[in-house]
This record gives sequence, structure tokens and C-alpha cells, in this order.
Amino acid sequence: MFVAGIDIGSTITKIVIKNETEILSTVITRTGAEHRRMALQVMTDALANCDLSFESLECIVATGYGRINVPFADQQVTEITCHMRGVHWLFPTVRTIIDVGGQDSKGIKVKDGRQVDFIMNDKCAAGTGRFFEVIGDVLGVKLEEIGPISLRSEKPADISSLCTIFAEQEALLRLSEGTSVEDILAGLLKANAARIHAMVSKIRIEKDVAMTGGGAKNIGLVKALEQKIGFPMVLPPEPLITGALGAALIAGETARSLRTEELRAKKEKRRLEAVTFFDKDSVR
Amino acid sequence: MEYIAGLDVGSAFSKAVIVDSDWSLLAFDVRPTSGNFVLAADLVMREALHKAGLSKEDLSNIGACGLGVPFLSPAFKKINDLSCHSRGTHYLLQSARTLIEVGNQSARVMKMTPKGKVADSVVSDKCAAGSGRILHIIAKVLNVNVEELGELSAKSVRPAKFTTNCAVFLETEAISRVAEGTPKEDIIAGLHKSIAAKIAAMVLRLRVEPDCVMTGGIALNGGLVAMMEKEIGQSIRVPEQPLLTGAIGAALIAAEKVN
Repeated sequence: MFVAGIDIGSTITKIVIKNETEILSTVITRTGAEHRRMALQVMTDALANCDLSFESLECIVATGYGRINVPFADQQVTEITCHMRGVHWLFPTVRTIIDVGGQDSKGIKVKDGRQVDFIMNDKCAAGTGRFFEVIGDVLGVKLEEIGPISLRSEKPADISSLCTIFAEQEALLRLSEGTSVEDILAGLLKANAARIHAMVSKIRIEKDVAMTGGGAKNIGLVKALEQKIGFPMVLPPEPLITGALGAALIAGETARSLRTEELRAKKEKRRLEAVTFFDKDSVR
Repeated sequence: MEYIAGLDVGSAFSKAVIVDSDWSLLAFDVRPTSGNFVLAADLVMREALHKAGLSKEDLSNIGACGLGVPFLSPAFKKINDLSCHSRGTHYLLQSARTLIEVGNQSARVMKMTPKGKVADSVVSDKCAAGSGRILHIIAKVLNVNVEELGELSAKSVRPAKFTTNCAVFLETEAISRVAEGTPKEDIIAGLHKSIAAKIAAMVLRLRVEPDCVMTGGIALNGGLVAMMEKEIGQSIRVPEQPLLTGAIGAALIAAEKVN
């Protein structure tokens, strides 16, 4: 049985196609402005990767910020649930999930495979991927280089501002005073880690702790967070896909729970087509 | 006759004033800080002195406030910002009782005593929401001058709605609006509303008492001031030189120490 989970984030779209036991195909790409076209694109690419037809998918679950914009999804499930399910499948011992996404950061508590508590920041760019995009721009450093460069620092700069805008200014000031880029980046990562840690602490950090989202690919942020927590975290091999994976797992459950006729009826209604915001029929 | 200088070194602008022991304002200067507090403070002080026809040696004392003071050399003892702004505003408008001072990086609301001292305050200086900085960001996105924002906003027919206060996310939303074809005026007016709402929430925590005065760079934006009046339900007065209140207050407080 084949199923798919698609996670449309504000910044990155992810899709996972799997069978009962393993992941067969994943696609990760920038969301851009057109969610629906992107959904079609990633689905087409993911199917091609594992040589499957659209019809062979028994069930498709969509999650994430743009989940309502997937015309061919059979079901929509919240990100928290999907992230939690995905992480739990990979690491059954995880009790706390720290997700650092493009425009928000979340803490999720897990007990017996169920979500028991949750906290989120989506009001402030600090502690999210956005912070690092801005800083990278300002300091002329590529997003993926920020982590490795920061690890070279021996004395992280003391950056007192948490606000992205003010921290940006402070960083430039330090730069003009001769502070090295690695020390500035290390200082900024430290400040962000402290902020994320403070938030997740409110729902009590318990071992094992997993980190997901784009932030987990920033080795500097991972290390800074581990320092605040006091012990190492577990990291999925691809931290971006835990939501899509969870969605795929839920798709599998749905497919198994429905009778064959119900499944067929759902599939018949499904269309893999380039529906966009600009259709005369689509309502904004 | 003694001469005293007041300095206010902000993240966007540095201001200097020269007063005499009769508390007459002799001269002032304002210039962009441009990322260098030391240089800006030096330049603005020299200009103000020049305009007053004085030299540094003529000064009996210098009072300094603002974000950049700890970076100055020789070191200045920083006078409390709120005290300076309150005193400076009182000097310009004796009837001021509620002060809304919005600079580049902070929004500060103060209740003032009839003598110009701070009775109470609400300050936001950790977050760019509700600060002048947002106006600069948006002006850049829309490719207009900051000075034009007030005028443009007056033309708005339907202010755009924004879902966030965060300056970073506001910028993203503004860019989306531009892509969707929303007119500039509506974007600016919508932003003004967002900023005004944020600051008004601070003001309303302190029970507004007339006269209500607005200072700081943001007070130069007539559109935003009008929006603030609507949000707090009170008319707002803006002094003739809304950027100088901090420096004036610093000078007056320093003058008191000269005896």
C-alpha cells in the first residue's frame, strides 16, 4: 500500500511517499507564492522519483500552513500532530520536540505517542528561520554557512538584542568595531537559542529531546541549544520532513481503516491537476 | 552667563543643543548617526557650538542621553532618557501631561508632572514593533522617502489590514500587498494603523491626561499622528522641534548641576 504526506510550510514544501514500512521518496523545495502549483509540482516529482502513479496512492494527507491549498489531498491534519507522529516513528523515546521553522518555532510535549502540551511563537521573527535569513543577508553569509562559521568562534559576541531588527544593527556595529563574523554569528545563535529554550521550558523540557525543522540543519543553533538544555538532542536524518512523514503515517492509518469502496470513492474524486489561485472558479 | 550643552545620541539621529544659564535655547543641530556614535556626537556638537558662536571651552557642563552614550569617548555619564525627554518636552510645552516619545528603536509613554518630571511610564525598547524603524523599512519596500509617508497615507481610501506587529513579518506582508497590487497609500495607511494601535495600547495603560504630546521622529509624520489621535481619542500636540526634547532635557538637567 502506498501513501503520501505533504507539508506546505510558509517557506519550504515537503512531501513523503511511503509504503507500510519505509520511505520511498521525498521532495523538499521552496514554497514560493503559489501553494497549489507547488503542491502539484512536488507530487509529480516525488512520484517520478519512486516510479509510482498517482492512482496507486491509497491516501494523501496534507499539513502545514498551506494545507488547505492542496486540491488532491484526502485529509488535512494540523502540523503539531504530524510533526509529533513523524518524530515518534523515528524516535519512540522522544518526549519533547523543538521545531524551528521558517516563520515560527514550536515546542511539543509527547507522551505515549500522543501530544500532551504545546507552545508556539509565531508573532516575532526572533527564534525563527527568518532571523537567520535577515542576518545572513546583512552579514553577507549564506544561510547554510551560518552554522559552520559560527562553530569557529572562541568568544561569542555579547548581543543583547533579541529583536531581529535591533540584533541586525548591533551585529553591524560590532562588525564596524572589528569583531569577527564568526564571533558575531555565535553570539546571535546563543541569543536565539536562549530565546527558544526559554519558550520550550514553559512546557518543561524532558528527555529525549528532538529538534526538527530548518533550524535543526543549523549546526551552530543545534549546539547552542544543546548547551542551554544541558544534554544532546536527537536529530532526524532529514529534519525538514518530519511533518510530511507524520502526514504520510496518518494517511496509512486512514487507508487501513476505510473500506475498499470508501477508498475508491475518495480516489475517484481526486484530481492531480494544476489548480491555481488564478482559476476563475477559485475563490480567494 | 554660563553655557551648557545637551546631547541626545540616538540610533538614527544625533542631536545637540546649547542653552545658557537663563535657560534660553541658543542653538541646535541634528544629523544622522550613520552607524557611528562617536563621530556623529562629535560633529553635531561642533555644529551646534559653531551656530551658537561658542567653543567647547565655553561650556560649563554637558548633559548626554540616548542609546549611543555608552560608546562615547571621553566617557559621559548618561542622564536617564525618560527624565531628559520629560524635561525637554515641558520646556517646549508647559501644559504637557502625557508624552508619547517614539524614536527609531523605542516607543516610550510617560505621565508628566506639572514641573516636567516623570510620574509614570510604559516603555517598549526590546522590539521594533511600534517603532520608527518600521517606517524606514516600509519606505524602502515602497520606494518612497520616509518624509513622504504622511502625505501619501492621507490619500488612502481603504487602509490595508496587517496581521502582525513584528517589523520583519510586516515587511513580508507589505511586499505581498505590493505584489497583489494594493495601492501604496493603502499599504502605508494600514501600516500607520498597525503602529498606532500598538503604541495606543501602551498609552491606554497609563490613563491619558491632556495635553497629550508626541515627540521623536515619528511625530513628523502627520498621517501617523492623526491615526494616533483616533486610536487614543484625544487630540495630540507636536512641538515645533519634536526631535530635540531629549537633548534639551539633558542640557537643562546638566545646567542644574552647574552652580
